[in-house]
Amino acid sequence: MSMKKLYSIFKQGIIFDNPLLMLMIGLCSAIAVTTNVSNGIGMGLAMTFVLLFSEIIISLFRKLIPSMIRIPIFIIVIAAFTTMVDLVMKAYFPDLSKSMGVFIPLIVVNCIIMGRVEAFASKQNLASVIADALGMGLGYTWVLIAIAAVRELLGNGTLAGIQIMPASYQPILFFILPPGGFFVFSLFISLNIWFKKRMEASARNRELVAKKEAA
Amino acid sequence: MKKDMTKLGMTLMLFASLACASLAVVYAFTKESIDKQSEIQLQASLKELFPQATAFEPIQDLVSPDPNIKFEAAYEVKSDMAPLGLAMKATGPSYGGAATLLVGIDLHRSIAGVRVMALNDTPGLGMNASSPTYYVDKTKKVTFLGQFNEKFLTDPFEVKKDVVAITAATISSRSLTKIIKLAGDAAIAYMDQKAISAPAENGASADAGTDANAQPQAGGK
Repeated sequence: MSMKKLYSIFKQGIIFDNPLLMLMIGLCSAIAVTTNVSNGIGMGLAMTFVLLFSEIIISLFRKLIPSMIRIPIFIIVIAAFTTMVDLVMKAYFPDLSKSMGVFIPLIVVNCIIMGRVEAFASKQNLASVIADALGMGLGYTWVLIAIAAVRELLGNGTLAGIQIMPASYQPILFFILPPGGFFVFSLFISLNIWFKKRMEASARNRELVAKKEAA
Repeated sequence: MKKDMTKLGMTLMLFASLACASLAVVYAFTKESIDKQSEIQLQASLKELFPQATAFEPIQDLVSPDPNIKFEAAYEVKSDMAPLGLAMKATGPSYGGAATLLVGIDLHRSIAGVRVMALNDTPGLGMNASSPTYYVDKTKKVTFLGQFNEKFLTDPFEVKKDVVAITAATISSRSLTKIIKLAGDAAIAYMDQKAISAPAENGASADAGTDANAQPQAGGK
């Protein structure tokens, strides 16, 4: 497996196949935790960890998993890693664990992990699975942080709990509440689609130019 | 077919037992640290509620009258043998599962303070109950739990009447208020039964201390 191929798998998750903005899965917990930047970072890292290790285990054992009972086995593997993250966070990052509340245990039923394990990890070898998990995890994390930054700054006047806006700024509560979450989310989705189209257009242009030069 | 089923079952069992074994290892590693964290949190909160206290003596015979709300621990708070009040660690149902609060009651039959020990709720909404920067009264900077400071148990403790609810989290606000009220009532019944009350001359000095401490006024009516 060449490095170039691995890099192209890794890059998919960040913009082109971004789990939140293009595949649009796992949105519920994403909208719920993005009220605060530190929650966004914590959730992104926890999710990347679970995604990475679940994909590795599933990929390693993919030949031993009978297809009839693959879903229960996937859930067992994902649940085990999620519980580990939950315990470790409770033990070493109690404040973060407290502010994330129920959303860490809910990683188990996050469609992103289920989707990647079913669609990718159960068919691919170890190296591409690691590239995919890191790409998807990073894609998930950057979107969470960006959305959380917009919502927290406008809705609370702070970033990661630090006051940024002047004291006279009246926070727009709308952005912290779920409707504001949907609003910011849809803005990011359209931005991402616009960016993707632009990139595709410039790639086509380059191809045309190359063809012409060759001719 | 039957053979298949047994084989599938065995495979599933194998995966489940491997997952269990690895979880057990992680649990064993983190248990000590988790227990230590909650103990540190409890001691720090007790100290916060009663800054002049020198001893917290556990009480065993204080049980909750409500089967849904449990008292995990209760302490008689003392400063050099003089009683200051009671502190109750109470767990009850809330919006996102069980919530554990530490409720301090002073000798004047009012709330000395409330701290969150464990709470599962929606981040940004119900979770604001434990946030030190979420104010139900923005001008006076009173937090949701802060509004109970110095509140007398003879008050009705009704959300949207004498208790200000957290925005978009009325169920959580109600459940937490109920836990506080129940723990407070039980503590007062206990104090009456054991005849723990403020001695006339000591009471004045203890009083001054709590007043200076409880800056945010209650009564957000």
